[in-house]
Amino acid sequence: MSEQSVVWRRQGLGSVFQALVPYIVAVIASFAAAGIVLAVMGYNVPRAYATILFTSFRTPNGIIQTLIKFVPLVLQALAFTIPLAAGKFNIGGEGQLIAGAIGATTVGIMLAGWPAPLLLPLVLLGGIVMGALWILLPAWLLYRFSINEILTTVLMNFVAFELIDYVATNIWPDPVAGHPTTIPIGAGGFLPRLIQQPPLHAGLLIAIFIAILVYFYTDHTSAGYELVATGANARASRVYGINVRSIFFLSLLLGGAIAGLSGAIEVAGVHHRLIAGIQSNFLLLGLIIGLIAKGNHLAVPFVAFFIAVLEVGASAMQRTLMIPGEMVFIVEAFILLFVLLSDVVRRR
Amino acid sequence: MQNSQFVQFASLVMLAIVPYILASQGTMLAGQTGLFIVSQEGVMLVGASVGFLGAYLSGSLLIGLLLAALAGAIAGLALAYFTTTLKLDQFVIGLAIFFLGLGLSNLLFKLVVGVTLQPPIIPTLKAVPIPLLSQIPILGPILFRQNLMVYFSILLSLFLIYFLYYTSWGLSLRAVGENPKAADSVGVPVRRSRYITAIVAGMLMALAGAYLPMVYTGSYTDGIVNGRGWLAIALTFLGGWSPHLIFVGSLFFAGIEILALRAQVLGVGLPYQFLRMIPYLATIFVMLLTYKRLRTPAFLGLNYDRESRTSL
Repeated sequence: MSEQSVVWRRQGLGSVFQALVPYIVAVIASFAAAGIVLAVMGYNVPRAYATILFTSFRTPNGIIQTLIKFVPLVLQALAFTIPLAAGKFNIGGEGQLIAGAIGATTVGIMLAGWPAPLLLPLVLLGGIVMGALWILLPAWLLYRFSINEILTTVLMNFVAFELIDYVATNIWPDPVAGHPTTIPIGAGGFLPRLIQQPPLHAGLLIAIFIAILVYFYTDHTSAGYELVATGANARASRVYGINVRSIFFLSLLLGGAIAGLSGAIEVAGVHHRLIAGIQSNFLLLGLIIGLIAKGNHLAVPFVAFFIAVLEVGASAMQRTLMIPGEMVFIVEAFILLFVLLSDVVRRR
Repeated sequence: MQNSQFVQFASLVMLAIVPYILASQGTMLAGQTGLFIVSQEGVMLVGASVGFLGAYLSGSLLIGLLLAALAGAIAGLALAYFTTTLKLDQFVIGLAIFFLGLGLSNLLFKLVVGVTLQPPIIPTLKAVPIPLLSQIPILGPILFRQNLMVYFSILLSLFLIYFLYYTSWGLSLRAVGENPKAADSVGVPVRRSRYITAIVAGMLMALAGAYLPMVYTGSYTDGIVNGRGWLAIALTFLGGWSPHLIFVGSLFFAGIEILALRAQVLGVGLPYQFLRMIPYLATIFVMLLTYKRLRTPAFLGLNYDRESRTSL
């Protein structure tokens, strides 16, 4: 995983291009496979492709929709790839997102009257803390008893689904909404807008900042090196005096905190309230992004942007051509499979 | 009165036991050859979707189940090919197949059914009482007045116990998951064992999914599996990858599920959302209680390469 980024740095642009080749082949192959299916079902394939790929770039609204989608996707991917660098799997990103959204909403409603310079940081902090708390149990069980973190993080997702339903229907329900929804948070907790119309919230800057920070942490600091070394060979790292158990613990906590932040940003930037279903399918897409990027933190933001383009295209395609959006999710899963297959080709 | 309430509860548990048994025994069987599958949730959804649509279009639940098993076999075959032949990471490939299953199941349903005001309904599985045995007081209605899938999952568990521990074929299968190099050296077909168990596991998982629309509501929703696939993995770990403990564990998981449902209906003072958290929290709690005694096949999750020098 990280060997690759080292290679990239040493060999410059030519090898970056070389590394991109399997990705391009994977994308073309996945689209070809989906195209055959669409053609068999009698859809207009060129129009479907054009809608998927270019909706994001045709109108200002398309670009902004893509950027708004990019924010939770890149953060969810990082919540997965940071523990992945240490060799641990956080499949609980959506639970942590929900917990973060609940934390942010709680702060935003309880302190509704507070001015923005105080409330906004507290709302975001509420999300970060709750996200980290939500993964605390799985991380601790791994640290203390070596209990497999994959299952515990997944199971906590299902607990979160019920918790958000409870908060949105019992604690601060919005009586007018037909769907489990809370009342809005205080206006001081709203993320400022970078562009007024169509609205683009400042969560984008936070997400880009976090992505850069994570890249520098894992690829350019000694603490990050310990993380990556633990993921590469935990036994050797232990021999060299790295406390691998605390590395596992901290990497999971960091992932949970970032996932919680993504929930807080969804509340403070997009919905301004808590809505059941706020997690969308960001976790699955985040996993796909992290795996396509093979855990390379330089690549994660770019893959996340590409997937955001596909997702915005998918909803446009569903609206205008009546092709179910799942089609694009399958294309994304196929891209992942083909990228994985490229490793087999390279081995030979 | 109390007696009949117990009988009713226990027979509901027997109904709920099926998806846990099928998915977990499938996971366990593949694990015995060292394959760690994590696609349960996705394969179960495919099974639910294909099984439902097959039954809906043909009018026969049996055809639905058979088609679901076929779809599951394909998923198992793909998993075995990518991991055993191409030697790709089992966990990552498992996730990829989970994603594909998630997408395909809903796509298929939307394409076939389309947008309708009234969701399509299929008949649910009928109870088939076994003559004489079903007349036994208490035990009869619990064990012998159930649908065929309940009998199938009980018999499957008994068969797996016999097969894995009392036949030489089962013994060599288990050797593959413990030490494939040793198994290979005495002529056990490692690759073929993995293919076969992966395909059977896929079929069982898909059947576990197909059972869900056929037993409760008779309709399909995209949330129908609701984490049971992940619970099945947990159950397999808790059962120490042995068929008899998995059977016992399934009783426990199904019992928790029914109790949580019951508590919702009766209203025990707690909001229903907290009752619905119970199965997931109880699973984590049981993991905490049993972590010391958990035993997993030594080669679980690893791909075997005949030509590599590294051993365990």
